[in-house]
Amino acid sequence: MTSVYFNIGKYCILLSNVFTKPERRSLYRKLIVQEIDKIGLQSLGIVGLLSLFMGAVVTLQTAANIDSGWIPRWTIGFTTRQTMILEFSSTIVCLILSGKVGGNIASEIGTMRITEQIDAMEIMGINSASYLILPKIIAAMFIFPFLVVISMFLGIAAGALVGQSSGVISMTDYEYGLQYFFELFQVSYTLIKTVVFAFIITSVSAYHGFYTHGGPREVGASSTRAVVYSMVLILIANYVITQLLLL
Amino acid sequence: MIEVNNISKAFAGNQVLKNINVSFFPGKVNFIIGRSGSGKSVLTKCIVGLMEVDQGEIVFDKRNFTKLDRWDRKDIRQEMGMLFQGSALFSSLTVEENVLFPLQMFSKMSKSEMMDRVNFCLKRVNLEGKNHLYPSELSGGMQKRTGIARAIAMNPKYLFCDEPNSGLDPQTSIVIDNLIKEITYEFGSTTVVVSHDMNSVIEIGDHINFIYQGELWWKGDKRDILHTNNQELNDFVFPSKFMKEIRENLRG
Repeated sequence: MTSVYFNIGKYCILLSNVFTKPERRSLYRKLIVQEIDKIGLQSLGIVGLLSLFMGAVVTLQTAANIDSGWIPRWTIGFTTRQTMILEFSSTIVCLILSGKVGGNIASEIGTMRITEQIDAMEIMGINSASYLILPKIIAAMFIFPFLVVISMFLGIAAGALVGQSSGVISMTDYEYGLQYFFELFQVSYTLIKTVVFAFIITSVSAYHGFYTHGGPREVGASSTRAVVYSMVLILIANYVITQLLLL
Repeated sequence: MIEVNNISKAFAGNQVLKNINVSFFPGKVNFIIGRSGSGKSVLTKCIVGLMEVDQGEIVFDKRNFTKLDRWDRKDIRQEMGMLFQGSALFSSLTVEENVLFPLQMFSKMSKSEMMDRVNFCLKRVNLEGKNHLYPSELSGGMQKRTGIARAIAMNPKYLFCDEPNSGLDPQTSIVIDNLIKEITYEFGSTTVVVSHDMNSVIEIGDHINFIYQGELWWKGDKRDILHTNNQELNDFVFPSKFMKEIRENLRG
């Protein structure tokens, strides 16, 4: 238990160093753009692929489970929309990104630590925590919501395409289901969650990378810990935000 | 001038540095030598502020570094340059970008002035034309020279070199040694070299400090080494029978 408090304290101290006035704002702007490309745009492929297949599968599974004539066909469109907007595009996509982006951040910063690159920055008088971590946090919090919106559109579109081509639902029913009892706040809720998840992924992964000690084996261990802790914290945050915003 | 006054450092009850008092002089190559695990790297890390001392003080030209907080240390840190054992070059940046990095962060120079400074530093370490290579494309000696170019980019008052010759062949080692010596004399910097390479010590050392089991055991210049009766220093400098014979011949 002491170790938990110790790590929370260390994490807070790291964050206080991260959120300080940057040495050169122009350099940070350039870094943020680079990170948006690395963290966001380079994740577009995997997010798109997953969303397409998940939207298609949700549509087919819902159709397969509606045997009763009492349940209207438009429920398929409604279920696909709710699944994609409320959970898949935010939580599941962020869980996957915690593996890709989080693991990458922890190993990148961890390698810099063990090869003394961070020490070199400190000796130059640079706030290494801020220089290395702040651009990643800002970039992720900015670009993740776009990825999530793209994921929603692709999932729902894939559901429509598969539903029609397999004959389980007509386009009219699917559209009706999509529009049925739609609340814009649900999209806002998802985007709020995404921004929180983006912060968790980048800051927790950076924390594990930044305090890596030893050699390549420890970098691997830090990377694994970063992914595991990010995932656990995402699930906890998901529960807390849902409780606060939807009920 | 750097003055280290009575510093001690322990890790989990293990006393690594014991009441060390030592001075490093400007315009001279000051060596810290000692066996592996003697505490010389910890001493250097304490001096540059990568580790906090348990007691004592480190004074850079009458500025007490140990009493300053992180933000106030920044001014002194911008006067430091350091060459790391593994070079510690930023692997995602080219040679040119590595040398440019401290200038971009802190100098008020224009872009063209910065580039002139980068090219001057690269020329100084004989790396002209290698601007666009990445660290992974360089040999060990070239990486060290890039490290030196980056360390001198801000024209440092204090230059620290941690095992500058580790992993290098004897001839390349001499090139690096001479470069450190020339830069020290040229810029008048206070240079501190941590090494256990006696070739370097004899080649370029002005003041030598021998650390033994966490204590400053001996200090003097390179000629004194030949004539000292300090048993631990003699065992370190002349470890083999062959080296002992050489010492006797030189003494004789």
